[in-house]
Amino acid sequence: MTAFVAVDNIDKVFSLSNGGSYVALKGIGLEIKKGEFISLIGHSGCGKSTLLNMIAGLDMPSEGVVLLDGDTIKRPGPDKMVVFQNYSLLPWLTVRENISLAVDEVLAHLSKEERQQVVEQHIKMVGLQPHAEKPPAMLSGGQKQRVAIARALAIRPKLLLLDEPFGALDALTRGNLQEQLMQICEENEVTAVMVTHDVDEAVLLSDRIVMLTNGPGSQIGGILEVDIPRPRKRMEVVKHPSYYSLRSEIIYFLNQQKRIKKIRAKKTAVVARHGLEKVNLEIGFVPLTACAPVAVAKEKGFFAKHGLDEVNLVREASWRGIVDGIAGGYLDAAQMPSGMPVWLTLGGHNNTPLPTVTSLTMTRNGNAITLAHKFYEQGVISATDFKRMLLESTEQQHTLGMVHPSSMHNLLLRYWLAAGGIDPDRDVQLKTIPPAQMVADLRSGTIDGYCVGEPWNLRAAMEGVGFTVATDLEIWQGHPGKVLGVREDWAAAYPNTHIALVKALLEACHYCADPANAEEIRRIVAGRDYVSTSIDYVHLGDPNSYTCNLDQPMREYAHHAFYGEGMNRPSRTETLWTMTQLARWGDTPFPRNWMEILERTCQVTVFSIAARELGLLDNSYSRGPIRLFDGTVFKSDDDPIAYLNSLEIKRDFSVAEVIIDSRPPRVA
Amino acid sequence: MVANAQNRVTGTNVSDSLKSFWQKNGENIFLPLIGVIGFIAIWQLISMSGITKLPPPSSIITDKNTRTLLLYPFMDRGGLDKGLFWQTLESLKRVALGYSLAAIVGIGLGILVGTQPKVNKALDPLFQFLRMIAPLAWVPITLIALPNVQTAAIFVIFITAIWPILINTTVGVQQIPDDYKNVARVLQISPRKYFFKILIPSALPYIFTGLRIAIGLAWLAIIAAEIVMSGVVGIGFFIWDAYQQNYVSEVILAVIYIGGVGLILDRFVAWIQRQILPQS
Repeated sequence: MTAFVAVDNIDKVFSLSNGGSYVALKGIGLEIKKGEFISLIGHSGCGKSTLLNMIAGLDMPSEGVVLLDGDTIKRPGPDKMVVFQNYSLLPWLTVRENISLAVDEVLAHLSKEERQQVVEQHIKMVGLQPHAEKPPAMLSGGQKQRVAIARALAIRPKLLLLDEPFGALDALTRGNLQEQLMQICEENEVTAVMVTHDVDEAVLLSDRIVMLTNGPGSQIGGILEVDIPRPRKRMEVVKHPSYYSLRSEIIYFLNQQKRIKKIRAKKTAVVARHGLEKVNLEIGFVPLTACAPVAVAKEKGFFAKHGLDEVNLVREASWRGIVDGIAGGYLDAAQMPSGMPVWLTLGGHNNTPLPTVTSLTMTRNGNAITLAHKFYEQGVISATDFKRMLLESTEQQHTLGMVHPSSMHNLLLRYWLAAGGIDPDRDVQLKTIPPAQMVADLRSGTIDGYCVGEPWNLRAAMEGVGFTVATDLEIWQGHPGKVLGVREDWAAAYPNTHIALVKALLEACHYCADPANAEEIRRIVAGRDYVSTSIDYVHLGDPNSYTCNLDQPMREYAHHAFYGEGMNRPSRTETLWTMTQLARWGDTPFPRNWMEILERTCQVTVFSIAARELGLLDNSYSRGPIRLFDGTVFKSDDDPIAYLNSLEIKRDFSVAEVIIDSRPPRVA
Repeated sequence: MVANAQNRVTGTNVSDSLKSFWQKNGENIFLPLIGVIGFIAIWQLISMSGITKLPPPSSIITDKNTRTLLLYPFMDRGGLDKGLFWQTLESLKRVALGYSLAAIVGIGLGILVGTQPKVNKALDPLFQFLRMIAPLAWVPITLIALPNVQTAAIFVIFITAIWPILINTTVGVQQIPDDYKNVARVLQISPRKYFFKILIPSALPYIFTGLRIAIGLAWLAIIAAEIVMSGVVGIGFFIWDAYQQNYVSEVILAVIYIGGVGLILDRFVAWIQRQILPQS
């Protein structure tokens, strides 16, 4: 079926009074099916109303066309009726006269009686019979908007266009009207396009949400399908599992747009100093206990010590923010989950390989799997118990949270589940949720458990909403946690800066590992600029005394290791294991050229130079094979494809040559 | 007894309602009254003290000729010797004619100019130029251009009153909110319906503002015009005539007439506006 409304690659350029021009929209393409409800969302001035006006025919695109039912829209008409933001009722006419004006004009082919009937029917539909004889000035905002909706629907438009219809209303009225509108649209199978900047409104009403990027030259930044079944009820949609992920998706998008605007406004130039190519760095991190090295390097002046005196730390709520920052080039470097550099390199983000390198492992361990407290009461204390419980309650869908497909949390959680005989995609559902949101979701019951870095496991345990069923110590003692990641082209352009950065962070790791500093670091990490939580939830410390123990008294904490023999050196074996796991779960293909990928992703040389210059460690140390809790030993000289084939629970994986751009030439 | 009691009851009712009326409107009547009496008293004192040659307000009654005029406004001795009522009426007739013409042409032209930006661009400088010419400056031109004094007087009123009407109508039409225009465009409302259902109601408050300013100007203009155009019956010429003959108290009486009529005219247009536009 062809689209009912087709917005075909349109541009809109406004000429300004000073002779210049402003590109409002650029290359907008959108197809709307009959009966669909579409929301346009974006920041003020992103051109969403302009787009709506062009669909309405009130304004013409500078390039491209808008088609309605196959015909080019050239002028406004009653077949694409608009509900304006400020109601646009004629104040000198009564409610009935306002509606009749439209009906008499548009439905002129009907007899007078029939037209009257239409008017009465629509006044009744919006429940305004008692007010039919009043002028709009005597109505409340909500009532006026109801008249506007009645007027719009009375002329039976093919397409209903709403420009922030509920923007000026109070919350209660808005809620009621939203439900009424939804009901009317469903009953009459109205195709509708609505402009809004209310995220909840968009999720509640829409089949699809079109997110527009900031102007100038706004584009469609993404389209979200809302899979919540109809009929929807305002109070019930919030319980749907998709609701919050859609909501956070939109909010993430809008925040990202705001940030991009700020970055555009800043336009930072590269500042070179102290023999370093760039000393003004934007470094991204996610608020977790594991951000300690980054926080310490900043607060204790390790960045400045190594010449990086203009480091700005950027707190991202989720790993996705880090990915976008690195891919968009507005973060110089970032704290990353250990799998992210290779995941980016293999094309995990938008299926485009983005060569990314790591030259420092900043933390190891520090992750744990938390399950909702109800499972503990049911006697679930291992993966096998969890499987038994899942088999007993097959009618229930269980959802577990993780933070990013490439993070060790995801891989460990999947490994733990699979080792217990649970297929992490079929038997349960895994959802990507920002770390800081996990505890709230667990408490509200939208997820049943999660795997995340501290402090969020400890916090759930201390608040009694969940319990730590396994820490990484029981899955893979000493696995890499967070690494430093930069783009390969960045590393090539700023080699000395890269080394200085590694030196600063390595020294910070060293500082973090000293138990004497633990109290100070806990205070820094728990502070407002970083994790912003109670200091009680933040622990660093001796691994052995913090091993998880489900016997009484329960000890639930996954310690972090920041520094030690062979701990900070990027490990090819671990990266290879990560690649096998990413392929195992179908995130990325397994690269046939895995040797090359390993070589390029793990920049051991940079680490070696940094460590040697600091005089910190014996960098010739090579880590042995990986030992996992199920008895598997993974060695780098094993055949990874044979290993993948030997796994019982896995997705169909592909093996392919991953072509990454040849190294860009070094900037002299 | 009973009747008495009832009378007493109604009596108290009347006094009660009087009391409440006084409470509500007492200040509105009392304060302006003090103002007027005070003004007259000061004038009287100044005139009696001999600082100025202007006769005191009491001369309206003490002067014989003026007293006759005051007491017999309807007298008609033929020619120009008529009571003040007839004099005023003649002036009012001219105002009615000139003002009506100004309203018709002004509103019509205003709508045209307001809806057609090109016409606006062409005519706006001309309008702004003509608007600045004082009513009295028009008198010699009109006397030369037009056949008789009557038409000339009407034309002066017309040319004075038209500008506020024209300009306010233009602005009113230009100020029709885009929302209403968009509604009309989306509904594809016919031009006739657009004119009567959207354009006129939307511009009406502006038009009335123009009309109210214009009535005041028209009344100002007629006096000025009549003073210059000698030999016509009218309150303006009456003043001029009285001045020439040094009947100063007659001038004062006529001036009171003019002020009173002006006030009534303004209130009249305001009243019409209220009838048509209840919301404003």
